[in-house]
Amino acid sequence: MAAALQLPSYLDQSPEVAARFERLRQRPVALEVSGLTKTFETTRGTVTALSDVSFSVHKREFMCVIGPSGCGKSTLARVLAGLEAPTSGDVRVYGQPVSGPGPDRGMVFQSYTLFPWQTVKQNVMFGPLMAGASRNSAESEARQWIELVGLTKFENAYPQQLSGGMKQRVAIARALANQPRVLFMDEPFGALDAQTRCQMQSHLLDIWKNVDITIVFITHDLDEAVFLSDRILVLDPHPGRVREMIEVPVPRPRHNDQLFEPSFMAVRKHIDNLIHPPGQEHHKESPVLRLVARDPDIV
Amino acid sequence: MRPLASLFKGWFLIRRDLSSSRRLFLSAVSFVLPLALWCLVSYVDWIWHPDIKLQLSSEREGNSTVFTAGDHISPGYYQEMVVATRAENTRLLASTPPPKSSKRANQKLLRQLAPVAISHDWLPYTEAQNDAAIYHLWRDIATGTKIPTDPALTPENLDIVKKNWAQLAPLTADFSLASLPETPLLKLIPQGLPANPVYLPAPHEVWRSGWRDFKAVPPEGELSMTQRYQHSLRVILLGFFWACVVGVPIGILCGVFDFFSKLFEPFVDFFRYMPAPTFSTLLVAVLLAGDAPKIALVFIGTVFQMILVVSKTTRLLDPSLLEAAQTLGASPKQMLTRVVIPGILPNLYNDLRILLGWAWTWLVIAELIGVKSGLTEFIETQGRFRNFDRVFPVIILIGVTGFVTDQILSWLHGIIFPWTGRGNPIAQTFIRFLFWPFRQISKLSDRAGTPT
Repeated sequence: MAAALQLPSYLDQSPEVAARFERLRQRPVALEVSGLTKTFETTRGTVTALSDVSFSVHKREFMCVIGPSGCGKSTLARVLAGLEAPTSGDVRVYGQPVSGPGPDRGMVFQSYTLFPWQTVKQNVMFGPLMAGASRNSAESEARQWIELVGLTKFENAYPQQLSGGMKQRVAIARALANQPRVLFMDEPFGALDAQTRCQMQSHLLDIWKNVDITIVFITHDLDEAVFLSDRILVLDPHPGRVREMIEVPVPRPRHNDQLFEPSFMAVRKHIDNLIHPPGQEHHKESPVLRLVARDPDIV
Repeated sequence: MRPLASLFKGWFLIRRDLSSSRRLFLSAVSFVLPLALWCLVSYVDWIWHPDIKLQLSSEREGNSTVFTAGDHISPGYYQEMVVATRAENTRLLASTPPPKSSKRANQKLLRQLAPVAISHDWLPYTEAQNDAAIYHLWRDIATGTKIPTDPALTPENLDIVKKNWAQLAPLTADFSLASLPETPLLKLIPQGLPANPVYLPAPHEVWRSGWRDFKAVPPEGELSMTQRYQHSLRVILLGFFWACVVGVPIGILCGVFDFFSKLFEPFVDFFRYMPAPTFSTLLVAVLLAGDAPKIALVFIGTVFQMILVVSKTTRLLDPSLLEAAQTLGASPKQMLTRVVIPGILPNLYNDLRILLGWAWTWLVIAELIGVKSGLTEFIETQGRFRNFDRVFPVIILIGVTGFVTDQILSWLHGIIFPWTGRGNPIAQTFIRFLFWPFRQISKLSDRAGTPT
């Protein structure tokens, strides 16, 4: 089956792409994770969620973390944001060790987590106000971020009145309003329908282009990971550890047509093989009772 | 025919909402139905009505019990009394010479007509022993100047009134005990109608007594109904207010900090199982008579539940909101004031609404301790006299107060918390205006907290 599809190796990079990666590597390190281990004490004993995870992300890079369920993706995001303390190892943002949640690292959750009692504008103003900005400056700042995500018309709406995609755009604007140095996104588009998710991906890339931000994006969607990122960190499950760090050979700027380019499909197929190794659950015949006679057209 | 048929369709759909007009209709019916049932039992004579309610005072020879108008007796005994009184009158007319009787007994006999006068408002009910007026009433009824209609006198009794007046008129035009005859007057025959037991007065009686009690100017030193009502409201609102002042902050602290939760909640949990009324004598001993022990009882009855309910509500706040706030740089204090408190307010509001309903229960008990007071004292006193027609209006008043308050508060919920759903722009503007001073204060404190 693999022979029928003549794909290049995912390691093949065009000279332009290779040169770009070379330049990216020259940039300062925005996020450095070294020897990160996280264990949880449960009634059934100790569970290791992350084991000796190390990687680094360069300034303004877009990195995706992907892996099968149970690989500790979300735990990684929470540790990076400082919501959980690592059992061992450390996380540094521009050389500063992370010891708890802080406004220098933004976080966007899958469940939006907008404050329902605040309007769109008030939600976006939250960070600047916490940092001690005056109401007026927070408001004008919020307006700017709301414009960036294209919700100016809805600045006085309550989250409850918005669609899922719009809510997530508010959440992004709210995280960016703090002007964090790194933005963590934990499956932010996981709850959106396919079409909205596609729009949001393009929208996110536009934002990333126009804002000084380094993004670490957690996802379980292969296409999403390949479409968005410069590099993809593939995690193994039980316990979560680094399987491979992949440089995506698809050139930028990205657009939807690239989904069918050989370089895109090659890297997608490679990651798919990593996450769902062929010969395992994939090809197992599920025992389904046959209730009708075999129909040659329905196979 | 078709629209009529559609009127009966679609009332019973499993887990489907009815149209708003149907809902409104059913809500109205839910009140009309019990009222209609009450009317049916009260006004249809052949439904129930096991008693006879007397319209005139009645007594009979050889029985020391005097029945007054409004008393309930069994139909069998009523018949017996009618027969016995007729026999007495017949004996009196037949005997010669007429037997002697005390003037005092005749005075009492004249007063038999007092209830008729009172029910026609010819006499205020405090004047039931105004013999001069009653004497003139005998004259007026006998001469046909006044014709009683509610209750109307039976022809038999009208005849007796005329016969008695024929005996009285030559003696004196105005009442004087000395001028009354020494021969006995004829007794009025007992008159009554089928009635329900005294504990189920008819709607119109309840309405009339309630109206009268609320309009009545109380005698010197006693409270009017409105004053009693205000007093009850004052006790419940003060008790509830202090419970909120203490219960809400402690509840929130317990919900937020495990420290306070473990420090307070076990004891609170224990204490709330001790019924508040068991502390009544203690409260009176400590706080003495007056309103203080009553307010304290409402407080005790409410505050412990409140702490537990509020702490539970606080714990129900989506923890990811707190995490989001943390990643946005909120300090612990800011998380409390900017996330926890605004986040739980809509649910807290509903909790307090429900607890206010409970507080009414405690109020009724509170008003019975120490010096009885307020609406409950009225219920107690009138209930003892079996004046249930005067008790029901007060019970209904409490019900209406609770229901209306709750409806208003529930309506306000949508206005105060527009993000929870139903909100309208006018109401939002109104609330913004209402909270303007608070916003100014919070702005000032923001500025104070900002290093310049």
